[in-house]
Amino acid sequence: MKNPFSRRIDYAELDDGQLVALAKEDKSAFGELYERYLPKIYRYVYYRTGNVHDAEDLTAKVFFRALSHIGNYVEKGVPFQAWLYRIAHNLVANWHRDQGRRKIIALDEYVAHPLKSEAPDRLTEEQEERNQLMEAVRRLPEDRQQLLLLKFVEQMSNAEIGAIMGRTEGAIKSLYHRTLLALREEMVAIQKGDLKQWSDGKEG
Amino acid sequence: MSTASEAQLRNFLESITTRLQRGEAVDPLLEPANEEQSNMEDIVELIQSLHASLTPMNPSQEYAENLRANLLDGRPGVAGRVRQMPARLSVAAILALFAGCLLLMLRRLFGSETATDVPEEAVATPL
Repeated sequence: MKNPFSRRIDYAELDDGQLVALAKEDKSAFGELYERYLPKIYRYVYYRTGNVHDAEDLTAKVFFRALSHIGNYVEKGVPFQAWLYRIAHNLVANWHRDQGRRKIIALDEYVAHPLKSEAPDRLTEEQEERNQLMEAVRRLPEDRQQLLLLKFVEQMSNAEIGAIMGRTEGAIKSLYHRTLLALREEMVAIQKGDLKQWSDGKEG
Repeated sequence: MSTASEAQLRNFLESITTRLQRGEAVDPLLEPANEEQSNMEDIVELIQSLHASLTPMNPSQEYAENLRANLLDGRPGVAGRVRQMPARLSVAAILALFAGCLLLMLRRLFGSETATDVPEEAVATPL
């Protein structure tokens, strides 16, 4: 049902809680929530799936699911943003389970842009380092990948990340520390693997 | 590693990350306060690489508009409708669209040529 006062409402001025309350009966309010969170959810899904096509499909599913369940949503200490991320997280987890694969993140499409003015050799070297880093990130458990994406891509505070992941701020801080140590080990393993491949190739 | 120094390291890594995200220099923090922190050089490099690699990027405008229309009005845009089709059907739809455009272009091209090629006597109206 359309809200008869919807023309008078400036949705942009409302906070998430107010919009969610309206969105149960007013699609325009949901439209404002969509505008606020589409880029965030898309980025999260993109980095977790590694390709634009699946990111677009899953992002659409996240918002359709949110729209169909918003009537039942009750804010019990879980902000709307956290609720959306949880939907996205579950859909991505199902996607990985169904696909039974971990795809390569298409870094060349997006991440290399700031480097285009640099020399080609340097560009290749940087790209290789980035690919290794992303490979190491993909080898981490899901919760650690999620933490890194929320921290670096969305630049969220530990408190915000904690609300989304259902942990305390202190637990996030501790998880971040452990994640970095694990990532360092993965990087060493990847670099050793590359070196072995190179020496095997030389011998063969 | 003692719990106190572990907490100190956590704070150190947090500070480095926060400074990078704010676009501030991290050099002042890199003066090692103790031996454990000086062993963290590679971790600091790792944070810098993560900061440089995990950059925000946005969905295309076309995608955002189509999804919005689909969600709120229940009507998908053209791209949305094609995407919702099975793979074979969407390829067929794209090919049909392309063939249609080609046909229109050819018709316009040859249609105009035919009009100019018509001999004058054929155009003349008999009295």
